[in-house]
Amino acid sequence: MTLILPLLFLLTAVSGTAVVLVRDPARQIFAIAVNGLVLAILFDALQAPDVALSELAVGAAAVPLLFLVALMAVRTRPPEEKS
Amino acid sequence: MSMLPYAVAAWLFGIGLYGIATSRNFIHLVGCLGVCQSATYVLLLGLGYRWGSIAPIFYDHPPGTPAVDPVMQALVLTDIVVGATLTALLLVLTIQAYKRGGSLDPEKLRPMRAGGKSGRDPGPSRVSDAERSVS
Repeated sequence: MTLILPLLFLLTAVSGTAVVLVRDPARQIFAIAVNGLVLAILFDALQAPDVALSELAVGAAAVPLLFLVALMAVRTRPPEEKS
Repeated sequence: MSMLPYAVAAWLFGIGLYGIATSRNFIHLVGCLGVCQSATYVLLLGLGYRWGSIAPIFYDHPPGTPAVDPVMQALVLTDIVVGATLTALLLVLTIQAYKRGGSLDPEKLRPMRAGGKSGRDPGPSRVSDAERSVS
């Protein structure tokens, strides 16, 4: 039990690094979702279940969907077409 | 062990700043800003954590049981909501910048002109930009 918390902290650092180092935005969305999931597990281990629930809803579902919508809006409109 | 949350928070903030500084894509940059925000979550919850304590819910525990700091958890809850709102706002600004400027690269973004001239009539301003860079 005393070992799982440092492991989760290190996993959080690794997944945050992965979000930065994955340069392609379409692949970065997966890294963002995994980062939100790891943060939710860390918050639950830090005795904050309400924060973990909120992070699970926002960080692992809502924010990657926002990135997906933004990427879709950018890709369906070619750069030459000006409004 | 007691320094580990601060070290992880500092690492996340530093790697997020590195990603923001070296990003060539606005969508990737907003994701790096989210990593910077997650550093604040880890810092606040690491500040409020106490070893061997319960969650601050006293439904099935007697009052007076050692619990972690609920004020920090309320702050982190506010921080998550503000972070999601900021991400949505910055993604909308990214889409608008792509519509106006035609690129997601921060290096290729031209400065905004007074009166929105570059948005309505991009042809002459782009030519004048090319001439200015040549001369």
